[in-house]
Amino acid sequence: MRFTPTELTGEELELQQEVRQFLSEELPPGSHEPCLGMAARKDKDFSLKMAARGWVGMALPKEWGGSDRTAVDRFIVVEEMLRWGAPVGHHWVGDRQTGNVILKFGTEEQRERFLPAICRGELGFSIGMSEPDSGSDLASVSTKAERASDGWIINGTKIWTSGAHENDWFVCLLRTSPMEDGNKHAGLSQLLIDLRSPGLEISPIPFLDGSHHFNEVTFNEVFVPDTNVVGDLGMGWHQNTTEMAYERGGPDRWLSPFSTVEQLLREARGTELENTVADLFGELVARWWGIRNLSLSVARLIDTGEAPSVESSLVKEMGTRFEQEVVEKLVHLIDLEYSPDSESLFERLLAQCVVTFPGNTIRGGTIEILRSVASKGLKGLPT
Amino acid sequence: MTNPVHVDPLITETAHRLFSEVCDHEAVQLAETRGEAPEIWNAFAETGFPWISVDEAAGGSGGSLLDALEVLRVVGYHAAPIPAAETGVLGGWLLAGSGQELPAGIVTVVPNGGSGVSGSVSGDELTVSGRALRVPWARVAERIVVPLEVDGQAVVASIDAKDCHIEPMTNMAGEPRDTVDFNEVRVPVAPTAAGIDLEAFRFRGALSRAALMAGAIEKMSQLTVSYTNDRVQFGRPVAKFQAVQQHLVWGAQDAALARMVAETAAREANRGAAQFEIAAAKLIANQAAARATKACHQAHGAMGMTQEYPLHHLSRRLWSWRKEYGGDAEWTKWLGQVAVSQGADQLYPLITGGSANFN
Repeated sequence: MRFTPTELTGEELELQQEVRQFLSEELPPGSHEPCLGMAARKDKDFSLKMAARGWVGMALPKEWGGSDRTAVDRFIVVEEMLRWGAPVGHHWVGDRQTGNVILKFGTEEQRERFLPAICRGELGFSIGMSEPDSGSDLASVSTKAERASDGWIINGTKIWTSGAHENDWFVCLLRTSPMEDGNKHAGLSQLLIDLRSPGLEISPIPFLDGSHHFNEVTFNEVFVPDTNVVGDLGMGWHQNTTEMAYERGGPDRWLSPFSTVEQLLREARGTELENTVADLFGELVARWWGIRNLSLSVARLIDTGEAPSVESSLVKEMGTRFEQEVVEKLVHLIDLEYSPDSESLFERLLAQCVVTFPGNTIRGGTIEILRSVASKGLKGLPT
Repeated sequence: MTNPVHVDPLITETAHRLFSEVCDHEAVQLAETRGEAPEIWNAFAETGFPWISVDEAAGGSGGSLLDALEVLRVVGYHAAPIPAAETGVLGGWLLAGSGQELPAGIVTVVPNGGSGVSGSVSGDELTVSGRALRVPWARVAERIVVPLEVDGQAVVASIDAKDCHIEPMTNMAGEPRDTVDFNEVRVPVAPTAAGIDLEAFRFRGALSRAALMAGAIEKMSQLTVSYTNDRVQFGRPVAKFQAVQQHLVWGAQDAALARMVAETAAREANRGAAQFEIAAAKLIANQAAARATKACHQAHGAMGMTQEYPLHHLSRRLWSWRKEYGGDAEWTKWLGQVAVSQGADQLYPLITGGSANFN
């Protein structure tokens, strides 16, 4: 494990400027209600505008509608979007991981069918991993895909499925052959499932603040054609693990409270509060700078063709804890009774952080699981 | 002058090999007892390492600041009991930057920007008086270098150690941090070149400590992974327990973080303006040291609390270095003023652009 320092090239800095320009026109600072990181509003029009700039699925090859850009280029775009609090929810999953999975493991026909549409910002994807009895122990999933002519019949339940009620497609980890003793990682496969398929039922699981993100998705004899199997049968665990390296360690794991912090500085300007918060800002800019350098080096590593799962797990474990720590520091320092209907935007955002950020160290793999993944890759003294 | 972005790997390898040979646990322990480690220093000096980054024209070994800071990182990794930072990166920089000769032997610097020490200029002569506290390795130094500001002018006094009274003191790691009394010591006035003043010295000192700390945290993390994989309880290595894995992961994160920020700050300092990066790197190194020493000690159990096991060489140095050239409060305050003066719209550009954004 080694995080090599890296920095943006001249061309990359130009891209950063271009994105900042785009955002300052689309969402002038102080004029919009920022989103808190990747749990962003779905705004298909915004996604289409980004796609028109070539910023959705941008790391995918040109022949499939992408821009042949690097993981670092994507890092730059994502970082700016998130720190701005942009509504990136619609294209988020397809852009971050599904496009990569289909490119890497999918058939030519699947690439042709999905990748250009992802790059146009049209398709929304959900991820089907957890089940009622399988959370952190993901390999124990029991939703079954059974052989039928030209396809598979699915029965079972997926849970905590974000956005299933609004998205188009579902990438599911399913059991395509029965669990063998001692090798629970075998017999799993990834299937692409149309969320409008007959027999597929979506029911909301209200989030703790009453909002609707989560769903339970029930499969009752849902037919999925053979052409929707991604990669090789039985290789789902391996593919899923590869996918995780893309999912973990990016700016979405450490930028969620940024727009809240920025708004505090905006509102404190010229008030007594400005002196109170100065030290907090001193610490936060340093820590954001440090963690960003680690995260950027992971993106650079991905561009060398690696799937740095240990490094990205370390960054995600650290980043999501940092996000919670930022909120705690704000809460500690700001002696106000904020709520979701406070008049001040900063207070509304802080209230939302307090209520929703406990999920940051859970979603996409709990920090306990991340520690277990990361600790396997740690090196002792050189021998 | 070139501004390389990467360190020559030969420097890293050579430094590791050198210290692996002469600087094991017993040697570090012995240095603490004796208050010096001439064998380690001589081996270090023979390679030319002390004077890396000081121009050859000024009598140094040439090479970049990046190379010199990489050597310091390796010095920190091995807890090498020598004034490596003081001699070249700090003392050599001050001497060369004020047109003064480098001595053959060890150089140390008065760290607190001359607080407690004052100078007065009369003609070509600078008279230095007062008491300097916590001067690293003064007892073994040939020259004691004092950066001062006299009548608004930055000057550097290069003082023969024999002309001072030195009282041996130590830091928490048992490293020499001596009290030095200057009693009207007269030296020639040596004004500094542009950009070399007390403020720049403070930042450079912080940069040197960030490099040492990055090395020490990395070694501490590796030591902890090794120990917990060897130590068996309840029939298996304790590293297999989730509760212990948490400490290992946190230690490794802080090792990676401290190294990343030290190397990034080094890269920027090697190019020019790097105040933001250095301030942030020192603050982060301080915090990483606090967390990592806690995690690594906890994972070691009682063994880490003994003198016979090497963890304390690293942890005690980290606790000491955390307070040298600026503790948490000093750098937090400096960074906070920069951040707040940038304002909300420029807050993120400060994080991505660093010093380039406000210099």
